[in-house]
Amino acid sequence: MRRISILTVTLAVLASVLLLGLGGCLANNQTNGDGILEPKEVREYQGENLSSVNDFRENSIKGPQYVDMENYQLEVTGLVANPVSYSYGEVVESYDSYKKVVTLDCVEGWSVRILWEGLLISDLLEEAKPLPEAKVVIFHAYDGYTTSLPLDYIVDNDILLAYKMNDIPLPPERGFPFELVAESKWGYKWIKWVTAIELSDDVNYRGYWEERGFSNTGNLDEGFYD
Amino acid sequence: MGKAAVADLIKRTIKWLLLAVTILFLITGFGITEFRVVETITLGWLSKSWALRLHDNLWIPFVVLLVLHVCLPFIFRQKAREKEL
Repeated sequence: MRRISILTVTLAVLASVLLLGLGGCLANNQTNGDGILEPKEVREYQGENLSSVNDFRENSIKGPQYVDMENYQLEVTGLVANPVSYSYGEVVESYDSYKKVVTLDCVEGWSVRILWEGLLISDLLEEAKPLPEAKVVIFHAYDGYTTSLPLDYIVDNDILLAYKMNDIPLPPERGFPFELVAESKWGYKWIKWVTAIELSDDVNYRGYWEERGFSNTGNLDEGFYD
Repeated sequence: MGKAAVADLIKRTIKWLLLAVTILFLITGFGITEFRVVETITLGWLSKSWALRLHDNLWIPFVVLLVLHVCLPFIFRQKAREKEL
């Protein structure tokens, strides 16, 4: 008799836990705290499986950044004839958007394959009119992180400044408002929370991790040590 | 110093070296995934790039020491037995 009651209680507890868990999952997947439906990421694109936005490891220099969008401006400065500054809405609405499935490979050994959507950086630069002596594009982030890439690489490879991943807006933890999709480069070149794009003639400029021993080219087909 | 004492010294040296390499392996691993914490604790001495560099190369001494640590006692015991016979 006693054994039966223990079994009954155990089963009841397990069933409750299962129901609560299931309820929690459904609540998380479908609505936010206010009961509003949230966008759901895609996990397949043109027959290709994609990683999840949650498959990234958090490895930024100061942790996730929550950018103050009221005062946010994306600046294009440095060796340009026409320095420009945009709000988030202006960037997203004024330029054609493009989609690309690109894999981010981190030096830590993990990788994620994501559908990125954003604008061509070359479109932004066209408006700013780079001066002939500009050779390098230096990206600055909200947390003070910097990295650089050759101007030719940006233009020749149609490099994106992404504002969506897997068809949902970039989450703050993944780099909202903008992340650089530095394809064929190691993950430390994929700068998040971009606030400024500076054109420079300093071909020896080294960003945050490059200054700390990582390769300045950051090419995937080469090692990441200097 | 007798042969037994030398064997004992070698075994002990390998044991402590293996322990040191294992600890370094763990620390450098954390230096990659938890670089913010490790950099702060080591006052910036162990940066992420250094941790990666060390971690990438430490597996070789680790494996060598581990194999020696496992095999040497058998080898020494075997030799001692052969000597007794």
